[in-house]
Amino acid sequence: MCPERAGTRNRIARGQPEGALRERSPLVSCRGLIKTYVQGAIEVPALRGVDLDLARGDFATLAGPSGSGKTTLLNMIGGLDRPSAGDVVLDGRNLATLGKAELAELRLHRIGFVFQSYNLIPVLSALENVEFILRLQGIAPRERRQRALEALADVGLEGLEGRRPAHLSGGQQQRVAVARALVGRPAIVLADEPTANLDTRNAEELIELMAALNARLGTTFLMGTHDARVIARAQRHIELTDGRISSDETRPAG
Amino acid sequence: MLASLAWRNLWRQKTRTIISMISMGFASLLLVFMLSLQIGSYDTMKTGTLRLQDGFAQVQPPGYADDPDISNLIEDPAPIIAELKAVEGIAEAAPRAGTFVILANGETSYGAAVLGIAPESEVNVSTLGAALGQGRYLEPGDTDAIYLGETLARNLGLAVGDRVSLLGSGADRSVAADSLEIVGLFRTGVPQIDRQLAQMPLDRFQETFALQGEVNVIALSGKRLADVNRALPELRRIAAAHGLVVRDWAELQPALKQAIALDVSTSAAIYLSLVAVVTFIILNTLYMSVLERTREFGILLALGMKPGAIGRMMWLELILLAALGCASGVALGAPLVLWFQQHGIPVPGMENIMAQFGLPSRIYPSLDPISASAGPLAILASVALGGLVPCLRIRRLHPVSAMRAA
Ligand SMILES: Nc1ncnc2c1ncn2[C@@H]1O[C@H](COP(=O)(O)OP(=O)(O)OP(=O)(O)O)[C@@H](O)[C@H]1O
Ligand SMILES: [Mg+2]
Repeated sequence: MCPERAGTRNRIARGQPEGALRERSPLVSCRGLIKTYVQGAIEVPALRGVDLDLARGDFATLAGPSGSGKTTLLNMIGGLDRPSAGDVVLDGRNLATLGKAELAELRLHRIGFVFQSYNLIPVLSALENVEFILRLQGIAPRERRQRALEALADVGLEGLEGRRPAHLSGGQQQRVAVARALVGRPAIVLADEPTANLDTRNAEELIELMAALNARLGTTFLMGTHDARVIARAQRHIELTDGRISSDETRPAG
Repeated sequence: MLASLAWRNLWRQKTRTIISMISMGFASLLLVFMLSLQIGSYDTMKTGTLRLQDGFAQVQPPGYADDPDISNLIEDPAPIIAELKAVEGIAEAAPRAGTFVILANGETSYGAAVLGIAPESEVNVSTLGAALGQGRYLEPGDTDAIYLGETLARNLGLAVGDRVSLLGSGADRSVAADSLEIVGLFRTGVPQIDRQLAQMPLDRFQETFALQGEVNVIALSGKRLADVNRALPELRRIAAAHGLVVRDWAELQPALKQAIALDVSTSAAIYLSLVAVVTFIILNTLYMSVLERTREFGILLALGMKPGAIGRMMWLELILLAALGCASGVALGAPLVLWFQQHGIPVPGMENIMAQFGLPSRIYPSLDPISASAGPLAILASVALGGLVPCLRIRRLHPVSAMRAA
């Protein structure tokens, strides 16, 4: 099908089990990523050459001044937008080789998203919002309900399953969003400023929650944020400046 | 899932949804009412015109339509009449013979059409008897009697009780002449009829014009025109078996048919503009709600929902809205029309004219499957089709730009 696959098969032929290979290779690998937005005659460079690997299980934050390219990078990794140059390989698949519909499939099954706000579908209850992903995935009703209930319990929202977003606090809404991001069992959760609209306590609770889920489920997290509390909690911290990575530190788990 | 999402989304903007529904409901109601009224008034017009003289259909010798000559005959009409009356929907079959004569009073003479009729069956087919101005209508057993248009009598200088001479030629081309007593005068309000028509007893007509029991046509009536129209195939079969033909209402009154066709096309233009205006209002609303929800669509796309599914959801929403609006219009409009169908709508100033035609002075709208559904279905179809464009355009939405939308 695509060259990556052929390569993989060759290496398997040389005697490496595929599972072991996948474990060792990074989950996300960005090479020479450039993104230039064109607005009429003006070109806005948002990413100017980003090389970045994320290992499975990383709990990483992506910080940087406003306009430094955080959202742009998250969108490239999430298959929401295409880079002007360079490659994103996610879970062994080069996103450049995927069509629009294949990208949608990939997002549905392999990526969880948490956005800053307006995350949830207002006409659906918390439970239905979480179930929504599983419906799109085509999971049978009984399993769907079971998993959605568990996901909501994981984020500490038992008893609030029937509420619509308008009747949940900002912190609760973001927890529903986290539950929704995780319920489809993605390889990675991409969160863009998840705590931006939350007060200190709710922000801390949310980041604790995500850290705990990362530890328990092993799901990789990459969070774009300005929030020092979030950065402090991260095990790996990446700084973007002017569309380039200016620092990338991994701290010992703690 | 799409259906339930669409349904819930519909009620996000309650006021807007209700206003949209009311505008579609009102337009549907208006269309149901106008269409029913139109169909009802066509019925009234057709019935009125046909009842005056022709009947709802006629059995004739072939070629009589082009050459209505007295010698173009139906022989032995009695068994045919019996057969025709046995057809479901046929209430009466009236034998008639007719020719053109000169009516004279001394030196004064006028040409006229004279019909030989059987009063007992004729009263069930034609309203001419009810358009009585003076005297009385022909009665069974009359022999020396003639019933004239008022204008014709005035032109001849004659009144009820006077005698009129009649001169023509018989079926055998012999000279036919008679003298009859005027028993009554009619006033239909239709100048040609009041000026040119006379009726006399069929037996006397056959005697005068050298007929041996033959007639020229058999005029048919039923409870309603539609009943007779429905019986046409069976009537045609019977007529054909006797070497005769059937002429339906449109063949008897081609001008009326044309007038109705013209009226239909004029009013269709009005209906279409109404449908277009409503469609425009609804699509405008749809456009607004697409704009408002662009961010949300962006999120749905980001999560992995197919753009086509979002388009379908919007379209479903639109159809639900239109169906609800139109259904409420029919639900309110149908009982209203049914009420007026029972009680009629008075037409001020028309009472006298209508009465002369032997017609009720009210118009009765007629609710049938077509008048009840054509308008609302047109709105539904037009909204559904018009909505296809914005809904298909949703497919071109890009998740990132959608999420960046205000
Ligand atoms: N769709 C777009 N069209 C044009 N320019 C864009 C677009 N998206 C982003 N940009 C520009 O690209 C640059 C990087 O934007 P990006 O949103 O990635 O920054 P960010 O680090 O997420 O900023 P913030 O902290 O404000 O969210 C900015 O200069 C921005 O104006
Ligand atoms: Mg951003």
